Amino acid sequence: MQIYLPIAEMPVNIFLIIGLGAAVGFLSGMFGVGGGFILTPFLMFWGIPPAVAVATQSTQIVASSVSGVITHWRKGNVDFKMGGVLLGGGLVGSVLGIQVFNALKAAGQADLFISLSYVIFLGSVGGLMFWESLQTIRHGGSSVGSIRREPGGHYWVHGWPLKMRFQRSKLYISAIPPVLLGVLIGLLTVIMGVGGGFILIPAMIYLLRMPTSIVIGTSLFQIIFLAAFSTLLHAITNQSVDAILAALLIVGGVFGAQFGIRYGERLRSDWLRLCLAALVLMICLRLGFDLVWPPADPFNLSIEGVE
Amino acid sequence: MRAILAALGVAAALSVGPARAEDLAAGISRDKIEITSSFTGTDIVVFGAIETDEGTALPATEVRDVVVVIRSDKPYLVTVRKKDRVGPIWMNREERSFAGVPGFYFLSSTRPLREIAAADVLDQFELGLDRIALGPAPGSVGGPREFREAILRTKIRQDVYAQHEGAVSFLSGSLFRTTVALPPNVPAGNLKVIVYSFSHGQVTSSSSMTLFIDKTGIERRLSDFARYEPTLYGIVAVLLSALAGFLASLAFRQRH
Repeated sequence: MQIYLPIAEMPVNIFLIIGLGAAVGFLSGMFGVGGGFILTPFLMFWGIPPAVAVATQSTQIVASSVSGVITHWRKGNVDFKMGGVLLGGGLVGSVLGIQVFNALKAAGQADLFISLSYVIFLGSVGGLMFWESLQTIRHGGSSVGSIRREPGGHYWVHGWPLKMRFQRSKLYISAIPPVLLGVLIGLLTVIMGVGGGFILIPAMIYLLRMPTSIVIGTSLFQIIFLAAFSTLLHAITNQSVDAILAALLIVGGVFGAQFGIRYGERLRSDWLRLCLAALVLMICLRLGFDLVWPPADPFNLSIEGVE
Repeated sequence: MRAILAALGVAAALSVGPARAEDLAAGISRDKIEITSSFTGTDIVVFGAIETDEGTALPATEVRDVVVVIRSDKPYLVTVRKKDRVGPIWMNREERSFAGVPGFYFLSSTRPLREIAAADVLDQFELGLDRIALGPAPGSVGGPREFREAILRTKIRQDVYAQHEGAVSFLSGSLFRTTVALPPNVPAGNLKVIVYSFSHGQVTSSSSMTLFIDKTGIERRLSDFARYEPTLYGIVAVLLSALAGFLASLAFRQRH
């Protein structure tokens, strides 16, 4: 059954898009990632113009993260203070990101930069996570939180000034690392059109040493705001948010997210991390392949406007 | 003339204001296409008749050719970039900008164009995909032919450019028709439909009509909303998404 998208100006299959939304929502609920890094390439693959794909999936991320956060919040798994600090940095980062993105677009290198950042970030994050979770599973399977966080243990981030207490995360650390992390995520959100969960989550686990159970809800919490900001930005500057496409993705996404959360709870956290790492590495390989494989058509068009 | 049109089977009643030229009458089966939420492309028929100045049918010995062109009347500025290998990576290197790129171009003719007229005549009326007047955009230099060809290739792949030589058929000595498949991604806006009749390699007359393509209903309201109230549209989109997420988590809580 086909439906015409008013902004993308093309028809799509309703069930295909709902199914895609559900699949991405499932991953989102399970791993706490927004899922944009999967959804955007898929939408483009089905012929949705890239600008519309990037803008519209951020709308879908708002819905699936709200749905996810409420569920995590009921279980007490959201550190709002940490989320707020990350978000502060995130908003600064997204403003910077707009400038960088526009400069790259003018130079015709935005696509290359996006692909390269995906490959570098996905590759390093996925590789590290894969290795770590494999080690944990091999050595008796207790989660990283209990292995690495010996009482009174100090790490390099703990020596910095501006210390804050994050009760929910059981942390007393400098506010500087979370703010810097937020800036980086904000930059990525705007440039790559993703919530940044796939980088934020490993960073919160390994860098900030937050407990794995708190990480997912907290990541989703700040993704809501970055994705909302990104939606607004795209709606205002490009008018590229397709309401019908978003509605279809949301219908699938919100339900997918709920099932994802339930399924994720049944998985052990080290296995959960291993699965996320495998997923991230797969996408990294796919994008890396596209970068080095000779393109089917070396020419590409971009429409600059009506005369 | 009218009796002949009625006999066309395309029912003259469908004809929307046939434009009359010196000896060419042409019409389109619909002059307005509404894009609704179930739009998946549509077919229209372009038809007409060629008669002598006295209003009688052409003698069978008189060979006429017809070329039908449908193109969007708003040209675009387009930048074409070419990827080249840098180290292990393929990246955009050379780029050229073109002006006058139609969003939609469809051509249908009775015979291969090169048999109908000489190159200079075809050039003059921009007949044929390879003769669309794509010039370098202001400030851009003209480039190798391959950049221009890349535009045509891409647009053909997207189904918005097409050329069917031999697809205009004569039903009798003077009646002709051709079917035009408008793809689902046909750009909204006005399309110009021009019918040329040729004799001995020269255009003897032409007839021009406008085909309105417009979104309607919810499609129209949403795209107007997005265009004219972008900030409000964005806020509404965010709030509705948040609400949808909230409702979903509520629905799931009650179930457990």
